[in-house]
Amino acid sequence: MNGVIAGITLRQLLSRRRTILLLLLGALMILVALALRIGAEGANLPRYASVLLETFGVATLMPLVALLFGTATIGAELEEGTAIYLLAKPIPRWITLITKLVVAAICSILLTCIPVFLAGLLAGGSQNGIVIAFTIASAIGSVIYCAIFVALSLVSSRALIFGLGYILIWEGVLAGLFAGTQTFSVRQHTLAFADALTDAPSAIFSAPLALGTAIVVGTAVVVLATAIAIRRLARIEIAGETA
Amino acid sequence: MTAPAAAVEVASASRWYGNVVAVNDVTFRLDGGVTGLLGPNGAGKSTILHLIAGFLAPSSGTVTVSGSPARGHPELYRQVGLVPEHEAVYPFLTGRQFVQANARLQGMSVEQAAEAAARAIGQVALADAQDRAIGTYSKGMRQRIKVASALVHEPQVLLLDEPFNGMDPRQRLQMMDLLRRMAAEGRVILFSSHILEEVERLAERVLVIVAGRLAASGDFREIRRLMTDRPHTFTIRSSDDRALAAALMDQPMIAGVSLDDGLLTVRTADFGAFSASVAGVARRAGIRLHELLPTDESLESVFSYLVRR
Repeated sequence: MNGVIAGITLRQLLSRRRTILLLLLGALMILVALALRIGAEGANLPRYASVLLETFGVATLMPLVALLFGTATIGAELEEGTAIYLLAKPIPRWITLITKLVVAAICSILLTCIPVFLAGLLAGGSQNGIVIAFTIASAIGSVIYCAIFVALSLVSSRALIFGLGYILIWEGVLAGLFAGTQTFSVRQHTLAFADALTDAPSAIFSAPLALGTAIVVGTAVVVLATAIAIRRLARIEIAGETA
Repeated sequence: MTAPAAAVEVASASRWYGNVVAVNDVTFRLDGGVTGLLGPNGAGKSTILHLIAGFLAPSSGTVTVSGSPARGHPELYRQVGLVPEHEAVYPFLTGRQFVQANARLQGMSVEQAAEAAARAIGQVALADAQDRAIGTYSKGMRQRIKVASALVHEPQVLLLDEPFNGMDPRQRLQMMDLLRRMAAEGRVILFSSHILEEVERLAERVLVIVAGRLAASGDFREIRRLMTDRPHTFTIRSSDDRALAAALMDQPMIAGVSLDDGLLTVRTADFGAFSASVAGVARRAGIRLHELLPTDESLESVFSYLVRR
């Protein structure tokens, strides 16, 4: 980690206008939780809470937050041209990359987990440790997504579009269809972690993927994506404006 | 005994993007002093600077800094400072924060960085504005804070891509003074420009780049002479173009005369002798000159002459 790069990256990520959109999205989830709580008096609240956290938190908020921070942490700097000030320094590129990845992950965790925690609490997920389980699991999921999106931003200059397509098509549709594709879905990994952390009965919440698979595949994805990103950053080419 | 490695050595370096050749078989070495990289826009000046800065790999040939390949050696950035042409600088940082961050990234302690940043900001005369966010800076101020950030670690090699863009004449003079002083300390300064006068005033040595090729290199006066001696073309309007054409034909410095659609065009190899004698020739022939216009004084035509030469 490099403190100077971390500081600049943090200010850069938080000063972007898109960050406000992410805050609004988190606030919206909290509002929905509140509406559920008020409208569903006496109903099965833990079940409602887990459905809300699964569909809004893990399936929507978490990937979008990680997508915006993950692609902005390096990709946006390369696009805007400021990256050259960080790269023209006697600092090994892997340190630059890890620093940026960690900052993106921390920002993603904050903007995902705080709304997840509050919404879960409001919707009535305090029983069976559902709130804590989803909060911790979405922190893990945020890290996996960030690693993927940081790598994507170094592989493609259209990372935002491809990332959105990946979230909607792969995570949203294809990965849910078959047991085989679930293995490679970050959403399913996250749900597996949440399932392992709660003692809620399966009538309230259960995940289709086994915890062991989630740990192995999730770790492998993070390691592989980070390795690809380091390699790309070490060999990155920056041309002059006129080239 | 082997000669000490040049600060910057570019040997038969080419760089292409797909089918487009940006830099074509360029060779030069820099050991000190101010060198101007002169050429029209799009000639490959930025590509050459980025090759030396290690941000582009040569497609063929080699580019070394202090004897090591420029690319893939981040530790070389201790000796190299780069001022990119790109205007983007973190808008939320103040000038002081930006220069200090650059110093810290060069491995200086907080105290060293504060000291070095204060010195560098003083050198570019931005002390008054150092606590304002860069987002509020004018183009010239932005350019100067970029220069401060590139020289804060006192690099041996300073690369500047169009550094005078956006500066007013006074700032330009100050910056030229600063670069001259740095060169006098034994540093290697290489700056690109598409403006002949900038290069003429600052550079001891010039590399002329046209269409990716090194068209000329050497002492500025030498290149200036080549530029002055090239064939010049003039168009003339007079009271009797036909008679003037005949009279000029006899002059030794005239390389060619043509009369198309009533427009008299004269080509001369000796600019000085022609301008001194043309009026006399006309007077002796009893012709009045109405207009005498050089046709090709654009920098591009100078460059293309150097390439053909």
